[in-house]
Amino acid sequence: MKRNILIALALLAFPALALAEGQWVLEQCTLTYHVSHPLHQTDGVSHAARGKGACHAGQCDFLIAVPVKSFDSGDSNRDLHMLQVTRGAEFPIVTVRTRLPESTAASATFNADLEIQFAGQTAQYKQVSFKLETQGGETHITGTIPATLADFKIDPPSLLTMPVKNEIPVRVDMTWHPQ
Amino acid sequence: MLRKVFRTRRSGVPGLVFWVCLSVVFAPFLMAQTTGTGTLSGRVIDASSNAVANATVTAASAENGPMRSATTATDGSYEFDGLPPGNYRLKFEAAGFKTLEIPSTTVNETETAVLDEKLEAGEPISEKPTPSQQDNLPNAPSSIKTEPSLQDLGFPPEQTQANPREQALLDKRTHMLKIHQRMGLITTIPLIATVATSLNAGGKNTSTTSRDLHTALGGLTGDLYFMTAYYAIRAPRVPGTETHGPIRFHKVMAWIHGPGMIATPILGIMAFDQKNKGERVHGIAQAHGPVAIVTAGAFGAALLSVSVKF
Repeated sequence: MKRNILIALALLAFPALALAEGQWVLEQCTLTYHVSHPLHQTDGVSHAARGKGACHAGQCDFLIAVPVKSFDSGDSNRDLHMLQVTRGAEFPIVTVRTRLPESTAASATFNADLEIQFAGQTAQYKQVSFKLETQGGETHITGTIPATLADFKIDPPSLLTMPVKNEIPVRVDMTWHPQ
Repeated sequence: MLRKVFRTRRSGVPGLVFWVCLSVVFAPFLMAQTTGTGTLSGRVIDASSNAVANATVTAASAENGPMRSATTATDGSYEFDGLPPGNYRLKFEAAGFKTLEIPSTTVNETETAVLDEKLEAGEPISEKPTPSQQDNLPNAPSSIKTEPSLQDLGFPPEQTQANPREQALLDKRTHMLKIHQRMGLITTIPLIATVATSLNAGGKNTSTTSRDLHTALGGLTGDLYFMTAYYAIRAPRVPGTETHGPIRFHKVMAWIHGPGMIATPILGIMAFDQKNKGERVHGIAQAHGPVAIVTAGAFGAALLSVSVKF
């Protein structure tokens, strides 16, 4: 009798365990960096990010990667200069890694520690705030990463001898779905 | 292959002054040593001993300490400094190569641990994976327990592989265009002065002095202009780049002010000769003023198109 109960419990527990070991796939992503210059403001947008998340023992590891070349600021000359200063041909991919508890999916907001590799440098961002909204099996996440040029040892590019500001906040808008 | 490189000190040089100087010079290094951190460095190569650039090297402390990542440079080198002493698990990942894991490497305070690794080329994934392969695929249901890697994301190799030649091309392009930009700004000063002095150089009541000044300024503007243009024309093109945005307008304007900068001085010389002979400016030389205005206008518009948004 006891054995049957144990088997029944194990069978009931199995779907939950399977979910706990699940995967997440980045369905859609828009990344926008913002650059401030005394003469104008510029936004560079990329929709080319790809990402995956792998969950194990209540923790999920996420990796998001985007080609540096995929950012479009609306001017090809500016994008080529961006590619040059960020050493985008030598280090063509930006990666963002984070680890989150699986329970995060149930929250409306969460903070994440991010590890970003960009321009041959690695920078850590602690407790970056994100908003989360789950609808129809998809999870929509928005937030802003407070990146700076100095974090990645990038010399601020200048226009008409005036350098851009050090702050280059990156707006994140992602849709994930479980797999 | 793990090589240990031990730091050695030389001693025996006498003199208090020497030791004081040595202490001052090496104080930061000595302080760094007393904080108790070590360095791990190395080089990543492929089967043909070529450097693997842009490989991700991750060092995770076996004592659940911090995890650090580095990207290999064009010569395949990487370095972690300021690592707390202990055992580290290392992972080497690069597009087109099999991921390599080194279970344990010791980092301590007194030595620089050097870890050179060779990566094997990755095997192509067949369309219909075998059950054993399926367990290793990124989307396999439940048996995967490792964090996702860059290879799992399926970027085409041309998007992930480092291209040092293209970087060199971009560096040269930016260097030349920076000079182009500065020269363009400098050219603006004599250009404005030339336009301003034209008011006294033309018309009925002009003096030879004002005409000479206008001509000299025009000559200086022309010289600076062609130096500016040289750096834009000779800046290398980056293959596969489509021109769009305000830079397109900037280039269109160059097709106006470029020929204008050739025509304006030719017409100016003709007008100058006619004036010096006491004649009224006539014939094609009359176009000097209007051509100069259109040229200066196009030059200004080109400058503004890359400076401000409108």
